[in-house]
Amino acid sequence: MENNPLPLKGIRVADFCWVYAGPYCGMLLGCLGAEVIKVEGHRRTDLLRHIVTWPLADPAPTPVPPNQGMAFNSLNMNKKSLTLDLTKPEGVAIAKKLVAVSDIVADNMRAGSMARMGMGYDELRKIKSDIIVLSLSSRGQQGPQKDYAGYASIHHAIGGGAYVTGYPDDHPCHNMGDVDLMNSNTAAFAIVAALYHREKTGEGQFIDCSQVEGVTSLIGELMLGYEMNGQIPERMGNAHPQYAPHNVYQCWGVDRWIALEVHSDEEFAVLAQVIGQPELAADARFADMASRKKNEAELDRIIEEWTRQRDRDWLANEFCRAGLAAAPSRNGEDIYADPHLRAREVFVTVDHPELGELELLGTPWKMSGDEVQLQHAPLLGEHNDYVLRELLGLSDAEVNDLRQKDVIL
Amino acid sequence: MAGDALTGLKVVELATMVAGPYCAKMLADMGADVIKVEPPEGDPARQVGPFPKSGPHPEHSALFLYNNTSKRGITLNIDTAEGLNALKRLIKWANVLIDGLPFQRLENLGLSWEAISELNPSLIYTSITPYGRTGPRADVKGDELALIHAGSLGNLLPTRAENIDRPPIKTEGYFVGYHGGLSAALATVGAALGQCKTGKGRLIDISLQETIVSLMRPNIAGNRYHHTNWSRVPDRPPAMGRMETKDGYIVIGTPEDHHFKAFRELMGNPEWIAGKEWETLAYRSHHLMDVTTKLDDWMRQQSKHDIHHRAAKMGIAVGPINSAPEVVSDEQFIYRNYFIEVEHPEAGKHKYAGWPYKLSATPPRVYRPAPLLGQHNREVFCDELGYSAEEFEQLQHTGVV
Repeated sequence: MENNPLPLKGIRVADFCWVYAGPYCGMLLGCLGAEVIKVEGHRRTDLLRHIVTWPLADPAPTPVPPNQGMAFNSLNMNKKSLTLDLTKPEGVAIAKKLVAVSDIVADNMRAGSMARMGMGYDELRKIKSDIIVLSLSSRGQQGPQKDYAGYASIHHAIGGGAYVTGYPDDHPCHNMGDVDLMNSNTAAFAIVAALYHREKTGEGQFIDCSQVEGVTSLIGELMLGYEMNGQIPERMGNAHPQYAPHNVYQCWGVDRWIALEVHSDEEFAVLAQVIGQPELAADARFADMASRKKNEAELDRIIEEWTRQRDRDWLANEFCRAGLAAAPSRNGEDIYADPHLRAREVFVTVDHPELGELELLGTPWKMSGDEVQLQHAPLLGEHNDYVLRELLGLSDAEVNDLRQKDVIL
Repeated sequence: MAGDALTGLKVVELATMVAGPYCAKMLADMGADVIKVEPPEGDPARQVGPFPKSGPHPEHSALFLYNNTSKRGITLNIDTAEGLNALKRLIKWANVLIDGLPFQRLENLGLSWEAISELNPSLIYTSITPYGRTGPRADVKGDELALIHAGSLGNLLPTRAENIDRPPIKTEGYFVGYHGGLSAALATVGAALGQCKTGKGRLIDISLQETIVSLMRPNIAGNRYHHTNWSRVPDRPPAMGRMETKDGYIVIGTPEDHHFKAFRELMGNPEWIAGKEWETLAYRSHHLMDVTTKLDDWMRQQSKHDIHHRAAKMGIAVGPINSAPEVVSDEQFIYRNYFIEVEHPEAGKHKYAGWPYKLSATPPRVYRPAPLLGQHNREVFCDELGYSAEEFEQLQHTGVV
């Protein structure tokens, strides 16, 4: 449908977030059409700007030149960058001017940090009465643990996700940055709901978002199940309480695996056919769901004996063509190579001033109407002029003064 | 003024299990008027547990009860002419249609996106499918396990594995379904804002695979442009991170020098890490594994919750790996009233997980418990859709509802 503007067109976000969870929340709002202005100190920038993130909780971050960290570049697309030293009163004064022309303010600092800078919700609503303010913290704005620090893996642990993730015969496992980016969606959802309310009533509000609770809300059935029956949910690896087969099977080669799940007797008969053992469908050990679940180990052995000798991607094709739910256990390179994602134009190419063309993941959904044109994540201070002069109407002398005082880059 | 954020937003949900229902639950708990349409035999989630000790019962499934709060529920056989007609009347009534069925299901009934938008030009149509509505895998089946691996998250789990020949795994429960529902809820309410301003409809095509891929964007970009080798088996032996205590596990990180110094102090400054060299990250990164045995031995003498509080109060990022009962009894969850009591006419009174967001003007709440199968049939058909009492009885009589 032509001429259907992006839904958040005309909405401005003052984004005081850094690292993973907060910045991606701002990017998601940008994907819906908002103008997002990222505010950072030029002496204390978003640390992802200049490091290579590494998959360990005790990272040895390889430094890269500022603006060139890929995590930064993949989580801050389409934003404008303003540098402001918020430890200086002049910096806070400019930030407040920005709030006055914004609709949303977001931060992911420790609880109370914004208030200590004089930018708590009560202050900001005096500047703009219908402002929507989101504070995304580790454990929420109040309570005995409000000052405790945390990362994604820690939120996954406290919230109850890690305990039920892992091999049944081994230790629990925390996830990593994915937990943060999930919580970015949570925070962005709360913001658009608040915007909807403001659209109807003109009323703004404060949103207190806890990343630990964000994890727990996604295991609601496990929590309620425990409440109802007193049984503690435990780790199950790839298994399902009822379905079998339901596992990841080794294929030919090194670290090559295929995920396969069968939800009915009909699907099992198809699987038996595909692996050339149609007699399994009539085998008393595997004839129905309950017996397959009971003899799951033997069934897994039979399937893996067959997959182990075969190519992963060929297997995925055979299974899917036959109507089964199967997928290769993809890694990052496989994602770039996936013809399906290519056909759906899931990647966008942006022209980065320092790095040249980058092919990065675009919006996480497809929406009819006007399409968002994603731009590269901003260089540090790239839009200082636009924000300070055009948006806030500062004079040359005022901007120079800020630079003199080392408030801006 | 306390209110409901999404008052006035009328939603029809045609979905089963987790992704579509959780998406609609998020809207319903924010005040949207959600009508859940179930097939006459009910959402299959009713057959999937967990269940109370009394055993399986379609009104007792925790999966169903949690994901369907605040909704009204009707049954409808959309494969009959009258059922399809009723669905069309629902589509005209709604602002939003959340379709969690394979998109071909409605297309085969003559309800393509074009046909739907002709019925209701201002409708937001959110279609949630395993791989999206276009592309070579549009017809491929996918569920939780396949999609977590299709989206490249599964391949990195379990984090910090030691043996690359053990299979990669999935993450907790129905993560793909829940996260997909969450992502769909964001796009849907975003689009509804546009609907308020322009009156125009929109098709939202949610591919569950892509919602997972999107969580991996820094890793995927890092793989390609920084040549980082992300693997569930790390490139060097991990030190700290997940650690075992005498009564369970914690996750603890000391990435910055001041964190490490605080941790050393917490341990009582043992002489084997007393040297100045330990205060730099580069040194620790390549030597912490030399003292892993000693660190682990010390940690195994601590108790999980005690060390959590002591370390956190020194500014160290740390958290216990909590089981369900530990989450329920956690002081912070209790302080924030995260769990909420919901009384259901069949399943009884229980504490449900709440919401990770507190909105000062429009707090989310459970408006009503999950609907009994067909509970609101008469109310919806007669009051909302304008069926007469005779017409409604005819629908019941012919098994359409």
